[in-house]
Amino acid sequence: MANLSVTLCGVQFKNPVIAASGTFGFGREYNELYDIGVLGGVSTKGLTIHPRLGNPTPRIAESRGVILNAVGLQNPGVEHFIQNDLEWLKNTGTRVIANVAGKTLEDYKNICAKLDGLVDMIELNISCPNVKSGGMAFGIKPETVEEVTKYAKSGLKITPLIVKLSPNVENIANNAKAAQNGGADCISLINTLTGMAIDIERRKPIIANNTGGVSGAGVKPIAVRMVYEASQAVDIPVIGMGGITCAEDAIDFLMAGATAVQVGTANFTDPYAMPKIIDGLNAWCDKHGVESVSDLTGTLQLNGK
Amino acid sequence: MKDYIATIVKNEKIAENIHEVTFDLGEKANVRCGQFGNISVEGTHLLRRPIAICKVEDTKVTFCYQIKGEGTQRLKMMGAGTRLNVLLPLGNGFFVEENEKKIALVGGGVGVFPLISVLRQYGKDKDVSAYIGYRNKGAVCGVDEFEKANKFVGVTDDGSYGEKMNAVQAFEADLKKGNRPDVVLACGPTPMLRALKALTEKENLLCYVSLEERMGCGIGACLVCVCNLTNGQHARVCKDGPVFNANDVEL
Repeated sequence: MANLSVTLCGVQFKNPVIAASGTFGFGREYNELYDIGVLGGVSTKGLTIHPRLGNPTPRIAESRGVILNAVGLQNPGVEHFIQNDLEWLKNTGTRVIANVAGKTLEDYKNICAKLDGLVDMIELNISCPNVKSGGMAFGIKPETVEEVTKYAKSGLKITPLIVKLSPNVENIANNAKAAQNGGADCISLINTLTGMAIDIERRKPIIANNTGGVSGAGVKPIAVRMVYEASQAVDIPVIGMGGITCAEDAIDFLMAGATAVQVGTANFTDPYAMPKIIDGLNAWCDKHGVESVSDLTGTLQLNGK
Repeated sequence: MKDYIATIVKNEKIAENIHEVTFDLGEKANVRCGQFGNISVEGTHLLRRPIAICKVEDTKVTFCYQIKGEGTQRLKMMGAGTRLNVLLPLGNGFFVEENEKKIALVGGGVGVFPLISVLRQYGKDKDVSAYIGYRNKGAVCGVDEFEKANKFVGVTDDGSYGEKMNAVQAFEADLKKGNRPDVVLACGPTPMLRALKALTEKENLLCYVSLEERMGCGIGACLVCVCNLTNGQHARVCKDGPVFNANDVEL
């Protein structure tokens, strides 16, 4: 039995497997299938100050090995979450990461202030590709990444801040550094890649929003490369995600520099994906004589040139 | 709700472009009419196929599906003995109250299959009339089931089987003859449901419709498959539905 626990910014997680925001709601539905207390953590559905209805449907499409989504941050608002879901989610025994988004710098500060001290960590969504005003504007350039991080951080006294980075950028290392400079305690990546899927009979995009965020198994090599580059650029811990389907995929990310991982689309393919990944991590560590899963972080050795 | 490793017993064509697949779950599942399953077709498809449950017999569950995209093409090729993950039962299903004795089923296209599950659940105790519309004679299927209803009116868009009309028109014609149900249960293409909603509102009839939408998780977590409610809110088709009171949803 390997030690699967990891520590991010002083917060201990029982294992490095965290549900990715937007694929897991607030955990209630998956808890009907298994005790979600076995998970390292849950990153909530993206929360905003005010409730949002989100985009028109269809909100999802498929392409080989990936899916595209454009839900558009439908959520009941942060107050509703605090009143109705937070205690329940905490009581499951998993770590609670509140994923938050906003339209303005002030929004980011205010929502962080509201959640400060109430959740284990806050994850800043500055890279939602599906909402014009959903933070993407902040997530592209290093200058605005740093600025929005500073604003969010100014609303926080207690809870550590994760900044979730967009892959739709010129240089991921620069944006990772910008988040660190802005005061981020941790970064997570990658959010979805912007894509399009077309219904050729109608000659129209399948998704009502025209474009959607691409995720799932097919994006993994891109995500692993970006996690490697970002983790080389910063001193703060990194949470890796993008196409993780099995324990071996999660180990890719750990070796590339991540301390923990998030799993999203795989939950749709197999609702038990995360408990299976946790079991698989334990088995892999045991088989390879790895005593603690945290020993894997950043152990990648590049081929010589 | 459980993710079964289900074994295909039978998978065959029953009408033009329509196949019927029967799985053995290995144990009995507690399924209500109008609920659905989310079927993994594996391969490069990351999403499962949400398909209405048509019949439940002992440990066996039958789905009928239209060959529409690559996923259903793939499912079509799978023979007896293939094992697939099937998550079920999902959604709320149809409920008929004790005092609702006369049921009208109005269905079109692939929407006819969940109505077979209603007939199988309520056919013995209720007076069921089925108004079923098909595109043409080649698309006709499920007749052996619908003929078990007290009344079955099968119609086609081109008149190649039954009268040339759609299911809503068939229902309306019977309604005008005085055959008024206590509740209408419907499933089919959105234009059909829209016409039915207009009719049942005008006639002041209680009507429940089963909706379809592209789904992600199938269990209510991802908020992909929402529909618009008349109160301005959204509901999740997979979890809050797929069955809604027609008055409550915008079609």
